[in-house]
Amino acid sequence: MAEPLRVIDFGCASPLRSQTLWHAIGYGVSAGAPATLSFTRPAAPYVCIGYHRGIEEVDHDYCRANGLPVFRRMVGGGPVYLDAGQLFFQVCLPARALPAARWQALSVLLEPAVTAFRVVGVPADLADDLEICVGDRKICGHGAGQIEDAVVLCGNLIERFDHERASRVLAMADPDQRDQTLALMRRFVAATPVDPVLFQASMISAYAEALGLAAVPGELTGTERSAVAELDERFASAGWLLGPDRPAPAAGAGPCARQVKVRAGVWTFAATCDGAKVAASVVRGTVEQVRLRAGGLNGSTLGAERALTGVPLRSVAQVLAGFGDPGRRFAAAFATADPGRL
Amino acid sequence: MEQAGHLVVAGFPLALDRRYHVGTHMWVLLSEPGQARIGMDPLGIETSGTLAELSFVPVGTELIAGRPFGQLEAAKFVGPLVSPVSGIVLAVNDAAAIDAGLTARDPYGAGWLIEVSLSDAAGELPALLADPDEITTWFVAKIADYRRMGVIAQ
Repeated sequence: MAEPLRVIDFGCASPLRSQTLWHAIGYGVSAGAPATLSFTRPAAPYVCIGYHRGIEEVDHDYCRANGLPVFRRMVGGGPVYLDAGQLFFQVCLPARALPAARWQALSVLLEPAVTAFRVVGVPADLADDLEICVGDRKICGHGAGQIEDAVVLCGNLIERFDHERASRVLAMADPDQRDQTLALMRRFVAATPVDPVLFQASMISAYAEALGLAAVPGELTGTERSAVAELDERFASAGWLLGPDRPAPAAGAGPCARQVKVRAGVWTFAATCDGAKVAASVVRGTVEQVRLRAGGLNGSTLGAERALTGVPLRSVAQVLAGFGDPGRRFAAAFATADPGRL
Repeated sequence: MEQAGHLVVAGFPLALDRRYHVGTHMWVLLSEPGQARIGMDPLGIETSGTLAELSFVPVGTELIAGRPFGQLEAAKFVGPLVSPVSGIVLAVNDAAAIDAGLTARDPYGAGWLIEVSLSDAAGELPALLADPDEITTWFVAKIADYRRMGVIAQ
């Protein structure tokens, strides 16, 4: 007889609880509770930041002014905007049930979700970069992590996506970068407005079948309920929100570009070097749009922007070499962008 | 190019001057008596995906073998860096915490993770692979396993 896949539908939950409920399941599964698939929908909008990411990536003034709480999760990825237009799912398994190689474990955890999307009519694929996509548009945000001896993957069905707000909650001092980020989000992040009840049913079937488990409705254990209370306190604390201790950059380290990832291979950055300002969007290694601002280009800014459009990021310095001293300063600003830090 | 005590096996560098914990892909390099430097081998790194972030417990933390001494994030997956030995953390590699790519680029050198004062060297070190032939055999077998499973490229 198959082992159980506990299924818990938390329904609408407060922003805080829409995080702490499933984190508590991580502790429960680690302590021996069965593998679990859970669902929740935030009752109000909020912002959530990945475990390692800097809190300065969020525009806290905007969030405060708009009543958006900010929480730090224990799984990976960047800062994201969540609201009731998104149905979140979480699958949690004992770590020993998954391949030790994390990349393979992620595939095992994501493939049933792709199946579920297809069952409800969304022609989803798991891209090589492990994002769930339709064509070149990401349709599901995900993150994963290990909580004690359990692994949890969370993702979402995006029924409606507020691109404007999703970009607005991110700290970006450069208005050109903000515009470029919003444009890329509109192009590369898509909602799939299917029936959430059908999607939920197909998720349960897909995960039960793929994992060889028998889906059974369940509820939190006593241990997990206690963990929720502890997590409520932890996630609401200023110390937790700050994140893990990070060393300061070494003295003499150069400036870093402000980078925003929209999906794998799609990102924007803004940087300044000696008064030369750059804001650019990069799609799969190619500069798609660029805005340059500095004195000294003698009216050829537009020409430089045109010359850079469509150029591989690695060839930018070569192109800018033809634009004299301002070109060198722009090249230095470009050089602070590092896709390895995304 | 091979350094003394280093091999390249199917494109992956392998240092033979240290010990390995086969379950976690962590290496342990004894430095001064009772002290060791710990890092991750290139297969552990490769099978994690592109390293995005590393974070470590504070200096002075007591470690227990088999429990985390930090966290690694790759492909939006945050998972534990599991200690192969017990002891006290003497130092953490801030350079790797600032730039996780350093660990991928130089896993046996500048990309080390932590240094520890060992609390049970006599009890725990014998469980690690130390013989160069055994290390090489294990490494070759793991590469074959990972290729068969499609975790690393052929």
